[in-house]
Amino acid sequence: MSFRTIDVDALDEEQLAQEELFVYSDGIEIDPQEALNNVQTKSIEVRNLLTKNNPENALITAINDPPYGLNTTAAKELNAKIVMEVLNSIKATDILPLIKKLSIEQQDILMKYIYRGMAFSGKASDKPKTGASPPPPEPFNSAVLLNWHEKLTEIAGVGCIVRVITDRKTV
Amino acid sequence: MSQTEIRQFNFGPITTHAFNKDRTQVAICPNNNEVQIHQRTAGGWSLIHTLVEHDKLVTSIDWAVESNQIVTCSQDRNAYVWNFDQTNGKWKPTLVLLRFNRAATFVRWSPNETKFAVASGARCIAVCYFDEVNDWWNSKHLKKPIRSTVLSLDWHSNNILLAAGCADFKARVFSAYIKGVDQRPAPTPWGDKLPFNTVCGEFSNGGGGWIHSVAFLPSGDALAITGHDSQITIIYPGQESYAIKTNNLPFLSLLWVNENQLIAAGYDCVPILFERQNDQSWEFSKILDASSKKKNINESSTAFNRFRDLDARGISSRSGSDETELKTIHQNTITSLRPYNGTPGDISHFSSSGLDGRLVIWNFQSLESQFKGLKV
Amino acid sequence: MSNTLRPYLAAVRSTLTAALCLENFPSQVVERHNKPEVEARSSPEVVANALTISRNENERVFIEPSVNSIRISIKIKQADDIERILCHKFTRFMMIRAENFIILRRKPIMGYDISFLVTNFHTEQMYKHKLVDFIIQFMEEVDREISEMKLSLNSRARLVAESYLLELYSK
Repeated sequence: MSFRTIDVDALDEEQLAQEELFVYSDGIEIDPQEALNNVQTKSIEVRNLLTKNNPENALITAINDPPYGLNTTAAKELNAKIVMEVLNSIKATDILPLIKKLSIEQQDILMKYIYRGMAFSGKASDKPKTGASPPPPEPFNSAVLLNWHEKLTEIAGVGCIVRVITDRKTV
Repeated sequence: MSQTEIRQFNFGPITTHAFNKDRTQVAICPNNNEVQIHQRTAGGWSLIHTLVEHDKLVTSIDWAVESNQIVTCSQDRNAYVWNFDQTNGKWKPTLVLLRFNRAATFVRWSPNETKFAVASGARCIAVCYFDEVNDWWNSKHLKKPIRSTVLSLDWHSNNILLAAGCADFKARVFSAYIKGVDQRPAPTPWGDKLPFNTVCGEFSNGGGGWIHSVAFLPSGDALAITGHDSQITIIYPGQESYAIKTNNLPFLSLLWVNENQLIAAGYDCVPILFERQNDQSWEFSKILDASSKKKNINESSTAFNRFRDLDARGISSRSGSDETELKTIHQNTITSLRPYNGTPGDISHFSSSGLDGRLVIWNFQSLESQFKGLKV
Repeated sequence: MSNTLRPYLAAVRSTLTAALCLENFPSQVVERHNKPEVEARSSPEVVANALTISRNENERVFIEPSVNSIRISIKIKQADDIERILCHKFTRFMMIRAENFIILRRKPIMGYDISFLVTNFHTEQMYKHKLVDFIIQFMEEVDREISEMKLSLNSRARLVAESYLLELYSK
């Protein structure tokens, strides 16, 4: 009776598969190891900027050129962790002027990271662990993220959230 | 003529609307399987014809103004061409051989009205032409490389090129050249050799949104597309394209006023004007709705009370108090924008219809002067 | 406590405003049908990215947008067993009367306490900002409702215990 469980619609060649959507949204696949290396170099740079008390450049460096792609889970996790570190280290009063300095593209990416942070806050333990990946991210602080979300929506509007919903280049 | 003319045709949505040549009649679909034709009278509009032939929601209507033919398409997979029969004063339907196995979603006559194109959920577009020998409307399919439902179409002024916006995040420009119907076209920036089903370009917003609307510049040298990612991209073939990322909700319809001004409308319930600055970049200019102020959304909820009333007391009253209504003219999403007065490339009035059942005719020129010097 | 509630609800409000952009979309898979794509999941390209907004590890909202429907799932705070039972009873009470609430789903999705399903037919009939208000108000009131029920349950239990023990004492 196994024929009953066959998904016949999936055999339709015209049908777009979930994996194809990334390419259809102009995504370019990169090598997972290379992506991870890039993010690791980036993380050192960001930490340097943070210790030099330059949160603005730290944020821009952290969100620039994020690892997209379907197989770059490890790189994505690390990058998300860096962004959260930066967000946590910025004082609440500095958020608004900082967001105003970002370009629309950067605002969109920042919004993606805010949602990613909220999605994983508190349920880090049930994330599957892959062999080479760094230890699972610690729960992110929702209160900080909500504050960022509010300020960012104030500046970038709902269009920014709409683009997080539609863009298949997830972070 | 007054500033803006507002007419409530339906208490549900108007899925689409189309005017006749002298703008005395309008065809609308009141969100069901019927097409209503309203005649302008001294006091307003009166219903004169109801066209019933479809058996599911009518998705799109287009009125060929010169030849006075109406084409309608529906989710029942069919399209009809309606001709007015002078002898008995009725509209007579002719079935079009679409050969679709999914819903038809959008239809537009070509500029010289010899052909029309029907978009569908069957991941293809039918280009239909009149077959004299058999006395029916026949079709040819544009299939490759469409991978999802086609949501909108627009014809190039040369009657050959057809732009399509699809749910696979892409907008494409096809050649819809039909041998025997069309003249050999002059070269355009989109290409010069144009046999049927040539793909002249494939574009995307880059943001992965379903492309809701496509519109050729009146001269045909550029294409504006907008998708569900609240972006408008203006594409000049072979040159740099301009992307406008807006902080609004997505747009569903685009309309060129002239070569330098573009109107977009959608989920924000207001038409918004975009302008070309010094022949260079494209930018947001203004909201074309004088009555729209900031939406007051922090008021106490009456929807909750309504549901609670429904649940506890069985009351289903529709509260129509001021606080519930939006400050904008349209009370819900605008789904279609059409030129009303003026020539392509110089439009003075345009009409819009939406999910609130209203048809609004906007006087663009007076709106423009009203907003002069007022930048948002 | 309530100072994180406000940004939380603000984030839910702006996300819902961005996600509630629905249109009539006929099924690409089954002819002459019109299904909520977020439930049918037959075409991946018309189901957009899902977003989570979390206040802390116990309270979050999960929003799954698609071209013609959106699913909103709420996880309600449950600090102890009594709250867990009360929450279960309360949501069950509502869900067996789902048709009276129009947008309520009969069953919550996995991991959440209550789900709403809004389709394009709902946004055509109702004001969008009022639908958003309804969900926000539900979220505001459900916490209060449950803590009130918990209080009255406790006082009732105290009363019962007292009268029971009085009986024993008088004998």
